[in-house]
Amino acid sequence: MSPLIVHLDMDSYFASVEQQAQPPLRGRPIGVTGRPTERSIITAFSREAKRYGFHAGTPVWEALKRCPDLVLVPGHPERYIETTKRFLEILKEYTAQLEVYSIDEVFMDVTQEAGRHGGAIAMAHEIQRRFGEALGPCITTTLGIASGKVFAKLIGKHFKPNGVGVLHDEDLPDLLRRTPVGDVCGIGPRIEKRLNQLGIRTLRDLGEIPESLLRREFGVYGLFLRSIGCGRDPTPLVPYTEVPPPKSVGHSKSLPPELRDMPLALLVLRDLCEQVAGRMRKLGYVGRTVHCGFRAGSIGPHAAKQITLAVPSDDGDVIYQACEAILAVIPSRPKEVSNVAVSVGNLIEKVRLPDVLFEEDRRRDRLNGAVDRIRDRYGSQAIRRGSSFLVKPLAPHVGGFLPETWEF
Amino acid sequence: MPEQIGTPIDALVIYRRGQTHPNLHAFSWQMRRYDVSRTNLVHAEREGETTYLIYAVSAGQDHFELRLDTRLGRWTLEERDVGR
Repeated sequence: MSPLIVHLDMDSYFASVEQQAQPPLRGRPIGVTGRPTERSIITAFSREAKRYGFHAGTPVWEALKRCPDLVLVPGHPERYIETTKRFLEILKEYTAQLEVYSIDEVFMDVTQEAGRHGGAIAMAHEIQRRFGEALGPCITTTLGIASGKVFAKLIGKHFKPNGVGVLHDEDLPDLLRRTPVGDVCGIGPRIEKRLNQLGIRTLRDLGEIPESLLRREFGVYGLFLRSIGCGRDPTPLVPYTEVPPPKSVGHSKSLPPELRDMPLALLVLRDLCEQVAGRMRKLGYVGRTVHCGFRAGSIGPHAAKQITLAVPSDDGDVIYQACEAILAVIPSRPKEVSNVAVSVGNLIEKVRLPDVLFEEDRRRDRLNGAVDRIRDRYGSQAIRRGSSFLVKPLAPHVGGFLPETWEF
Repeated sequence: MPEQIGTPIDALVIYRRGQTHPNLHAFSWQMRRYDVSRTNLVHAEREGETTYLIYAVSAGQDHFELRLDTRLGRWTLEERDVGR
Protein backbone atom coordinates (compact mmCIF):
# COMPACT_ATOMS: atom_id res chain seq x y z
CA MET A 1 0.00 0.00 0.00
CA SER A 2 1.55 3.34 -1.02
CA PRO A 3 1.53 6.03 1.67
CA LEU A 4 -1.28 8.57 1.77
CA ILE A 5 -0.05 11.93 3.01
CA VAL A 6 -2.37 14.88 3.51
CA HIS A 7 -1.06 18.43 3.65
CA LEU A 8 -3.46 20.83 5.33
CA ASP A 9 -2.91 24.55 4.83
CA MET A 10 -5.18 27.18 6.34
CA ASP A 11 -6.20 29.82 3.78
CA SER A 12 -4.95 33.39 4.43
CA TYR A 13 -4.83 32.27 8.03
CA PHE A 14 -4.25 35.35 10.23
CA ALA A 15 -6.47 37.50 8.02
CA SER A 16 -9.26 34.87 8.00
CA VAL A 17 -9.18 34.62 11.81
CA GLU A 18 -9.47 38.42 12.05
CA GLN A 19 -12.38 38.40 9.59
CA GLN A 20 -14.04 35.66 11.62
CA ALA A 21 -13.66 37.66 14.86
CA GLN A 22 -14.64 41.00 13.32
CA PRO A 23 -17.56 40.74 10.86
CA PRO A 24 -17.11 44.33 9.54
CA LEU A 25 -13.81 43.15 8.00
CA ARG A 26 -15.42 40.38 5.96
CA GLY A 27 -15.32 40.77 2.21
CA ARG A 28 -12.79 43.62 2.49
CA PRO A 29 -9.09 43.68 1.59
CA ILE A 30 -7.24 43.55 4.91
CA GLY A 31 -3.60 43.30 5.92
CA VAL A 32 -2.48 42.01 9.31
CA THR A 33 0.46 43.90 10.74
CA GLY A 34 2.27 44.35 14.05
CA ARG A 35 2.21 48.12 14.15
CA PRO A 36 0.21 49.96 11.49
CA THR A 37 2.91 52.48 10.56
CA GLU A 38 4.22 53.08 7.07
CA ARG A 39 7.57 51.47 7.94
CA SER A 40 6.01 48.18 9.09
CA ILE A 41 5.45 45.16 6.94
CA ILE A 42 2.24 43.19 6.46
CA THR A 43 2.45 39.59 7.65
CA ALA A 44 -0.79 38.32 6.11
CA PHE A 45 -3.34 39.46 3.56
CA SER A 46 -6.98 38.46 3.19
CA ARG A 47 -7.95 36.70 -0.02
CA GLU A 48 -9.63 39.94 -1.18
CA ALA A 49 -6.27 41.72 -0.81
CA LYS A 50 -4.36 38.91 -2.49
CA ARG A 51 -6.14 39.80 -5.74
CA TYR A 52 -3.79 42.79 -5.87
CA GLY A 53 -0.85 40.38 -6.04
CA PHE A 54 0.36 41.03 -2.49
CA HIS A 55 2.52 38.57 -0.61
CA ALA A 56 3.48 38.39 3.07
CA GLY A 57 6.28 40.82 3.89
CA THR A 58 5.04 43.68 1.68
CA PRO A 59 5.75 47.05 3.36
CA VAL A 60 2.68 48.98 4.54
CA TRP A 61 3.53 52.02 2.39
CA GLU A 62 3.72 49.91 -0.75
CA ALA A 63 0.49 48.03 0.01
CA LEU A 64 -1.43 51.27 0.65
CA LYS A 65 -0.09 52.77 -2.56
CA ARG A 66 -1.34 49.82 -4.60
CA CYS A 67 -4.59 49.38 -2.67
CA PRO A 68 -5.72 52.56 -0.85
CA ASP A 69 -8.81 50.72 0.51
CA LEU A 70 -6.64 48.19 2.35
CA VAL A 71 -7.67 47.95 6.02
CA LEU A 72 -4.72 47.51 8.38
CA VAL A 73 -5.51 45.24 11.31
CA PRO A 74 -3.22 44.71 14.31
CA GLY A 75 -2.42 41.02 14.76
CA HIS A 76 -3.62 38.94 17.71
CA PRO A 77 -1.19 35.99 18.14
CA GLU A 78 -3.34 34.50 20.94
CA ARG A 79 -6.29 34.23 18.54
CA TYR A 80 -4.21 32.33 16.01
CA ILE A 81 -2.65 29.99 18.58
CA GLU A 82 -6.07 29.23 20.10
CA THR A 83 -7.60 28.54 16.68
CA THR A 84 -4.68 26.27 15.80
CA LYS A 85 -5.13 24.35 19.05
CA ARG A 86 -8.80 23.84 18.19
CA PHE A 87 -8.24 22.53 14.69
CA LEU A 88 -5.42 20.26 15.88
CA GLU A 89 -7.80 18.74 18.42
CA ILE A 90 -10.08 17.83 15.51
CA LEU A 91 -7.23 16.43 13.40
CA LYS A 92 -5.98 14.27 16.27
CA GLU A 93 -9.25 12.37 16.04
CA TYR A 94 -8.21 11.20 12.56
CA THR A 95 -4.62 10.12 13.13
CA ALA A 96 -1.75 10.31 15.59
CA GLN A 97 0.65 10.54 12.64
CA LEU A 98 0.37 14.30 12.64
CA GLU A 99 3.24 16.69 11.99
CA VAL A 100 2.66 20.30 13.05
CA TYR A 101 4.71 22.04 10.38
CA SER A 102 3.78 25.60 11.39
CA ILE A 103 0.94 27.47 13.02
CA ASP A 104 -1.23 27.01 9.91
CA GLU A 105 0.19 23.93 8.20
CA VAL A 106 -0.05 20.27 9.14
CA PHE A 107 0.97 17.01 7.50
CA MET A 108 -0.98 13.84 8.26
CA ASP A 109 -0.19 10.26 7.35
CA VAL A 110 -3.62 8.69 6.83
CA THR A 111 -2.49 5.51 5.07
CA GLN A 112 -4.15 3.33 7.71
CA GLU A 113 -7.08 5.58 8.61
CA ALA A 114 -8.43 6.87 5.28
CA GLY A 115 -10.43 3.70 4.58
CA ARG A 116 -12.51 4.17 7.73
CA HIS A 117 -13.66 7.58 6.47
CA GLY A 118 -14.61 6.51 2.94
CA GLY A 119 -11.17 7.31 1.47
CA ALA A 120 -8.79 10.26 1.70
CA ILE A 121 -10.91 12.62 -0.40
CA ALA A 122 -14.07 12.02 1.64
CA MET A 123 -12.02 12.45 4.79
CA ALA A 124 -10.63 15.76 3.54
CA HIS A 125 -14.12 17.10 2.83
CA GLU A 126 -15.27 15.91 6.25
CA ILE A 127 -12.39 17.82 7.88
CA GLN A 128 -13.32 20.97 5.96
CA ARG A 129 -16.95 20.64 7.11
CA ARG A 130 -15.95 20.12 10.75
CA PHE A 131 -13.57 23.09 10.63
CA GLY A 132 -16.43 25.23 9.32
CA GLU A 133 -18.64 24.18 12.24
CA ALA A 134 -15.97 24.51 14.93
CA LEU A 135 -14.02 27.57 13.78
CA GLY A 136 -16.53 29.61 11.79
CA PRO A 137 -17.30 30.12 8.12
CA CYS A 138 -14.42 32.55 7.40
CA ILE A 139 -11.67 30.15 8.45
CA THR A 140 -11.18 27.72 5.58
CA THR A 141 -8.52 25.20 4.69
CA THR A 142 -7.06 23.57 1.59
CA LEU A 143 -5.91 19.96 1.61
CA GLY A 144 -3.48 18.32 -0.77
CA ILE A 145 -3.26 14.52 -0.97
CA ALA A 146 -0.30 12.63 -2.41
CA SER A 147 2.11 9.83 -1.59
CA GLY A 148 4.63 12.18 0.06
CA LYS A 149 4.87 15.48 1.91
CA VAL A 150 6.48 17.56 -0.83
CA PHE A 151 3.95 16.54 -3.47
CA ALA A 152 0.96 16.84 -1.11
CA LYS A 153 1.98 20.44 -0.40
CA LEU A 154 2.62 21.11 -4.07
CA ILE A 155 -0.72 19.80 -5.31
CA GLY A 156 -2.65 21.62 -2.57
CA LYS A 157 -1.30 24.97 -3.85
CA HIS A 158 -3.22 24.49 -7.09
CA PHE A 159 -6.55 24.11 -5.25
CA LYS A 160 -6.45 27.15 -2.93
CA PRO A 161 -8.61 28.43 -1.34
CA ASN A 162 -10.94 25.95 0.35
CA GLY A 163 -10.17 23.09 -2.04
CA VAL A 164 -9.06 19.49 -2.02
CA GLY A 165 -6.36 18.41 -4.47
CA VAL A 166 -5.28 14.84 -5.16
CA LEU A 167 -2.18 13.81 -7.05
CA HIS A 168 -2.88 10.51 -8.85
CA ASP A 169 0.07 8.45 -10.08
CA GLU A 170 -0.91 9.02 -13.72
CA ASP A 171 -0.82 12.81 -13.21
CA LEU A 172 2.69 12.84 -11.77
CA PRO A 173 4.65 13.11 -15.09
CA ASP A 174 2.60 16.13 -16.13
CA LEU A 175 3.12 17.80 -12.73
CA LEU A 176 6.87 17.22 -12.96
CA ARG A 177 6.92 18.70 -16.47
CA ARG A 178 5.14 21.94 -15.57
CA THR A 179 6.43 22.63 -12.05
CA PRO A 180 9.35 25.08 -11.75
CA VAL A 181 11.96 23.89 -9.26
CA GLY A 182 11.44 27.02 -7.11
CA ASP A 183 7.83 25.99 -6.39
CA VAL A 184 8.96 23.07 -4.26
CA CYS A 185 9.14 23.39 -0.49
CA GLY A 186 12.79 22.81 0.38
CA ILE A 187 14.21 24.49 -2.73
CA GLY A 188 14.95 28.11 -1.83
CA PRO A 189 15.82 31.03 -4.15
CA ARG A 190 19.59 30.43 -3.98
CA ILE A 191 19.32 26.73 -4.87
CA GLU A 192 16.80 27.62 -7.58
CA LYS A 193 19.28 30.10 -9.07
CA ARG A 194 22.09 27.53 -9.05
CA LEU A 195 19.81 24.92 -10.63
CA ASN A 196 18.75 27.40 -13.33
CA GLN A 197 22.42 28.10 -14.05
CA LEU A 198 22.81 24.37 -14.68
CA GLY A 199 19.89 24.55 -17.11
CA ILE A 200 17.47 22.88 -14.70
CA ARG A 201 14.16 24.73 -14.65
CA THR A 202 11.44 22.14 -14.00
CA LEU A 203 11.20 19.07 -11.79
CA ARG A 204 11.38 16.88 -14.89
CA ASP A 205 14.73 18.51 -15.78
CA LEU A 206 15.87 17.69 -12.26
CA GLY A 207 14.94 14.03 -12.69
CA GLU A 208 16.85 13.77 -15.97
CA ILE A 209 20.15 15.09 -14.56
CA PRO A 210 22.64 12.38 -13.50
CA GLU A 211 22.65 11.79 -9.77
CA SER A 212 26.44 12.10 -9.70
CA LEU A 213 26.25 15.67 -11.02
CA LEU A 214 23.69 16.72 -8.40
CA ARG A 215 25.72 15.04 -5.70
CA ARG A 216 28.85 16.83 -6.83
CA GLU A 217 27.10 20.22 -6.90
CA PHE A 218 24.94 19.95 -3.78
CA GLY A 219 26.34 17.11 -1.68
CA VAL A 220 23.83 14.92 0.17
CA TYR A 221 21.12 17.49 -0.59
CA GLY A 222 21.57 16.54 -4.25
CA LEU A 223 20.07 13.13 -3.47
CA PHE A 224 16.92 14.82 -2.17
CA LEU A 225 16.73 16.95 -5.32
CA ARG A 226 17.16 13.91 -7.55
CA SER A 227 14.41 11.98 -5.69
CA ILE A 228 11.97 14.87 -6.07
CA GLY A 229 12.82 15.13 -9.76
CA CYS A 230 11.99 11.43 -10.15
CA GLY A 231 8.66 11.85 -8.35
CA ARG A 232 9.83 10.16 -5.17
CA ASP A 233 9.57 11.95 -1.86
CA PRO A 234 12.09 10.88 0.77
CA THR A 235 10.96 13.39 3.43
CA PRO A 236 9.77 11.54 6.54
CA LEU A 237 6.77 12.70 8.55
CA VAL A 238 7.74 13.65 12.10
CA PRO A 239 4.71 13.08 14.38
CA TYR A 240 4.04 15.67 17.08
CA THR A 241 4.74 13.00 19.68
CA GLU A 242 8.33 12.72 18.47
CA VAL A 243 9.34 16.35 18.09
CA PRO A 244 13.14 16.57 18.34
CA PRO A 245 14.63 18.75 21.10
CA PRO A 246 15.44 22.37 20.17
CA LYS A 247 18.85 23.05 18.64
CA SER A 248 18.90 26.68 19.69
CA VAL A 249 16.77 29.34 21.35
CA GLY A 250 16.84 32.85 19.91
CA HIS A 251 15.12 36.15 19.37
CA SER A 252 15.62 39.00 16.94
CA LYS A 253 13.97 42.37 16.67
CA SER A 254 13.64 44.92 13.90
CA LEU A 255 13.99 48.32 15.50
CA PRO A 256 11.85 51.39 14.83
CA PRO A 257 13.86 54.54 13.92
CA GLU A 258 13.65 55.97 17.45
CA LEU A 259 15.54 52.95 18.88
CA ARG A 260 18.30 52.64 16.30
CA ASP A 261 21.04 54.48 18.19
CA MET A 262 23.47 51.86 19.44
CA PRO A 263 22.99 52.55 23.20
CA LEU A 264 19.20 52.14 22.86
CA ALA A 265 19.58 49.11 20.61
CA LEU A 266 21.74 47.53 23.32
CA LEU A 267 18.89 47.97 25.80
CA VAL A 268 16.63 46.07 23.42
CA LEU A 269 19.33 43.42 23.01
CA ARG A 270 19.55 43.09 26.79
CA ASP A 271 15.78 42.55 26.91
CA LEU A 272 16.08 39.89 24.19
CA CYS A 273 18.80 38.13 26.20
CA GLU A 274 16.44 38.03 29.19
CA GLN A 275 13.69 36.58 27.03
CA VAL A 276 16.00 33.94 25.54
CA ALA A 277 17.25 32.97 29.01
CA GLY A 278 13.68 32.78 30.35
CA ARG A 279 12.63 30.48 27.51
CA MET A 280 15.68 28.27 28.05
CA ARG A 281 14.87 27.92 31.76
CA LYS A 282 11.28 27.05 30.92
CA LEU A 283 12.48 24.39 28.48
CA GLY A 284 15.07 23.13 30.99
CA TYR A 285 18.16 23.79 28.85
CA VAL A 286 21.45 25.58 29.30
CA GLY A 287 23.53 26.63 26.30
CA ARG A 288 27.16 27.03 25.49
CA THR A 289 27.30 28.95 22.21
CA VAL A 290 26.02 32.53 22.08
CA HIS A 291 25.40 34.02 18.65
CA CYS A 292 24.82 37.75 18.36
CA GLY A 293 24.21 39.91 15.30
CA PHE A 294 22.94 43.25 14.07
CA ARG A 295 22.11 45.03 10.85
CA ALA A 296 24.07 48.24 10.38
CA GLY A 297 21.98 51.27 9.36
CA SER A 298 18.55 50.79 7.82
CA ILE A 299 19.62 48.65 4.86
CA GLY A 300 23.21 47.79 5.74
CA PRO A 301 24.80 44.35 5.90
CA HIS A 302 24.11 41.93 8.73
CA ALA A 303 27.13 41.39 10.97
CA ALA A 304 27.21 38.45 13.37
CA LYS A 305 29.64 36.39 15.40
CA GLN A 306 29.45 33.69 18.00
CA ILE A 307 31.32 32.90 21.16
CA THR A 308 31.59 29.80 23.31
CA LEU A 309 31.02 30.11 27.04
CA ALA A 310 33.35 28.40 29.48
CA VAL A 311 30.34 27.05 31.36
CA PRO A 312 26.88 26.49 29.79
CA SER A 313 24.34 29.00 31.06
CA ASP A 314 20.66 29.97 31.13
CA ASP A 315 21.31 33.36 32.73
CA GLY A 316 20.30 36.52 30.85
CA ASP A 317 23.23 38.47 32.29
CA VAL A 318 25.79 35.90 31.14
CA ILE A 319 24.24 35.82 27.66
CA TYR A 320 24.27 39.62 27.45
CA GLN A 321 27.90 39.80 28.58
CA ALA A 322 28.76 37.30 25.83
CA CYS A 323 26.94 39.55 23.34
CA GLU A 324 28.96 42.54 24.55
CA ALA A 325 32.15 40.54 24.07
CA ILE A 326 31.04 39.67 20.53
CA LEU A 327 30.20 43.27 19.69
CA ALA A 328 33.60 44.38 21.02
CA VAL A 329 35.41 42.24 18.45
CA ILE A 330 33.22 43.12 15.47
CA PRO A 331 35.51 45.61 13.68
CA SER A 332 33.05 48.26 12.51
CA ARG A 333 30.63 49.13 15.26
CA PRO A 334 28.00 51.36 13.63
CA LYS A 335 26.26 54.24 15.39
CA GLU A 336 22.88 53.02 14.14
CA VAL A 337 21.43 49.51 13.82
CA SER A 338 18.03 48.45 12.48
CA ASN A 339 17.96 44.89 13.76
CA VAL A 340 19.44 43.04 16.73
CA ALA A 341 19.51 39.29 17.23
CA VAL A 342 20.70 36.83 19.82
CA SER A 343 20.51 33.05 19.98
CA VAL A 344 21.99 30.39 22.20
CA GLY A 345 22.92 27.00 20.79
CA ASN A 346 24.85 23.90 21.78
CA LEU A 347 22.05 23.18 24.25
CA ILE A 348 22.29 20.65 27.06
CA GLU A 349 19.51 19.58 29.38
CA LYS A 350 20.16 21.29 32.68
CA VAL A 351 19.43 18.14 34.69
CA ARG A 352 22.43 16.47 33.02
CA LEU A 353 24.83 18.99 34.53
CA PRO A 354 26.35 18.60 38.00
CA ASP A 355 25.06 20.95 40.69
CA VAL A 356 26.71 24.37 40.68
CA LEU A 357 29.65 24.60 43.02
CA PHE A 358 29.89 28.23 44.09
CA GLU A 359 27.45 30.08 46.31
CA GLU A 360 27.34 33.08 43.94
CA ASP A 361 26.14 30.81 41.06
CA ARG A 362 23.57 29.16 43.32
CA ARG A 363 22.34 32.62 44.31
CA ARG A 364 21.91 33.57 40.61
CA ASP A 365 19.95 30.36 40.02
CA ARG A 366 17.67 31.13 42.95
CA LEU A 367 17.21 34.71 41.74
CA ASN A 368 16.28 33.55 38.22
CA GLY A 369 13.90 30.96 39.68
CA ALA A 370 12.21 33.66 41.79
CA VAL A 371 11.87 35.99 38.78
CA ASP A 372 10.36 33.15 36.72
CA ARG A 373 7.86 32.35 39.46
CA ILE A 374 6.80 36.00 39.75
CA ARG A 375 6.32 36.22 35.97
CA ASP A 376 4.40 32.94 35.88
CA ARG A 377 2.07 34.17 38.57
CA TYR A 378 1.62 37.85 37.76
CA GLY A 379 2.50 38.11 34.07
CA SER A 380 5.63 38.70 32.00
CA GLN A 381 5.72 42.43 32.72
CA ALA A 382 5.36 42.05 36.51
CA ILE A 383 9.11 42.22 37.12
CA ARG A 384 11.50 43.84 34.66
CA ARG A 385 15.05 45.07 34.55
CA GLY A 386 15.17 48.80 35.28
CA SER A 387 16.92 49.60 32.00
CA SER A 388 14.01 48.16 30.00
CA PHE A 389 11.89 51.13 31.15
CA LEU A 390 14.18 53.42 29.18
CA VAL A 391 12.81 52.14 25.86
CA LYS A 392 9.17 52.20 24.90
CA PRO A 393 7.53 48.79 24.37
CA LEU A 394 8.01 47.31 20.94
CA ALA A 395 5.14 46.01 18.83
CA PRO A 396 4.13 42.46 19.72
CA HIS A 397 5.28 39.62 17.50
CA VAL A 398 2.63 38.57 15.00
CA GLY A 399 4.56 35.71 13.46
CA GLY A 400 3.62 32.17 12.66
CA PHE A 401 5.27 30.05 15.29
CA LEU A 402 3.90 27.99 18.10
CA PRO A 403 5.21 28.23 21.62
CA GLU A 404 7.52 25.29 22.30
CA THR A 405 5.99 24.78 25.73
CA TRP A 406 2.64 24.09 24.15
CA GLU A 407 1.19 20.86 25.46
CA PHE A 408 -0.91 18.67 23.21
CA MET B 1 -13.42 51.87 13.78
CA PRO B 2 -14.19 50.02 17.05
CA GLU B 3 -14.93 52.19 20.08
CA GLN B 4 -12.83 51.33 23.17
CA ILE B 5 -15.05 50.97 26.26
CA GLY B 6 -13.52 48.94 29.12
CA THR B 7 -16.56 48.89 31.43
CA PRO B 8 -17.53 46.09 33.84
CA ILE B 9 -20.90 44.62 32.84
CA ASP B 10 -23.43 41.97 33.85
CA ALA B 11 -23.64 38.92 31.59
CA LEU B 12 -26.05 36.06 31.12
CA VAL B 13 -24.18 32.84 30.32
CA ILE B 14 -24.82 29.12 30.07
CA TYR B 15 -22.25 26.54 31.06
CA ARG B 16 -22.76 23.51 28.85
CA ARG B 17 -21.41 20.04 29.58
CA GLY B 18 -18.11 19.33 27.88
CA GLN B 19 -17.52 22.90 26.70
CA THR B 20 -14.30 24.64 27.57
CA HIS B 21 -15.94 28.06 27.90
CA PRO B 22 -19.42 29.29 28.83
CA ASN B 23 -21.85 30.41 26.11
CA LEU B 24 -22.58 34.11 26.32
CA HIS B 25 -26.29 34.72 25.72
CA ALA B 26 -26.83 38.35 26.66
CA PHE B 27 -25.26 41.26 28.50
CA SER B 28 -26.39 44.61 29.75
CA TRP B 29 -24.64 47.91 29.20
CA GLN B 30 -25.89 51.44 29.83
CA MET B 31 -29.28 50.16 31.02
CA ARG B 32 -29.84 48.21 27.81
CA ARG B 33 -29.91 44.47 27.22
CA TYR B 34 -28.00 43.08 24.23
CA ASP B 35 -28.92 39.58 23.08
CA VAL B 36 -25.99 37.82 21.45
CA SER B 37 -27.04 36.66 18.00
CA ARG B 38 -23.69 35.11 17.07
CA THR B 39 -20.43 34.22 18.78
CA ASN B 40 -17.77 34.87 16.17
CA LEU B 41 -14.64 33.75 18.01
CA VAL B 42 -13.54 32.95 21.54
CA HIS B 43 -9.91 32.80 22.56
CA ALA B 44 -7.93 32.72 25.78
CA GLU B 45 -5.20 35.09 26.95
CA ARG B 46 -3.04 34.57 29.99
CA GLU B 47 -1.53 37.15 32.23
CA GLY B 48 0.40 35.40 34.98
CA GLU B 49 -1.95 32.95 36.66
CA THR B 50 -5.08 34.64 35.34
CA THR B 51 -6.74 33.34 32.20
CA TYR B 52 -9.00 35.71 30.33
CA LEU B 53 -11.51 34.52 27.76
CA ILE B 54 -12.06 37.02 24.99
CA TYR B 55 -15.43 36.86 23.23
CA ALA B 56 -15.98 38.45 19.82
CA VAL B 57 -19.76 38.49 19.41
CA SER B 58 -22.50 40.12 17.35
CA ALA B 59 -25.77 41.45 18.71
CA GLY B 60 -27.94 42.35 15.75
CA GLN B 61 -25.94 44.70 13.53
CA ASP B 62 -23.45 45.64 16.25
CA HIS B 63 -20.25 43.79 17.15
CA PHE B 64 -18.62 43.60 20.56
CA GLU B 65 -15.52 42.29 22.27
CA LEU B 66 -15.96 41.15 25.87
CA ARG B 67 -13.44 39.83 28.38
CA LEU B 68 -14.11 37.29 31.11
CA ASP B 69 -11.65 37.16 34.00
CA THR B 70 -11.99 33.44 34.78
CA ARG B 71 -10.38 33.81 38.21
CA LEU B 72 -12.74 36.47 39.49
CA GLY B 73 -15.71 35.71 37.21
CA ARG B 74 -15.84 39.34 36.06
CA TRP B 75 -17.05 40.45 32.64
CA THR B 76 -15.82 43.60 30.92
CA LEU B 77 -17.10 45.14 27.71
CA GLU B 78 -13.92 46.06 25.85
CA GLU B 79 -14.98 47.28 22.40
CA ARG B 80 -18.04 48.10 20.36
CA ASP B 81 -18.21 48.36 16.58
CA VAL B 82 -21.50 49.82 15.42
CA GLY B 83 -22.90 47.97 12.40
CA ARG B 84 -22.72 49.54 8.95
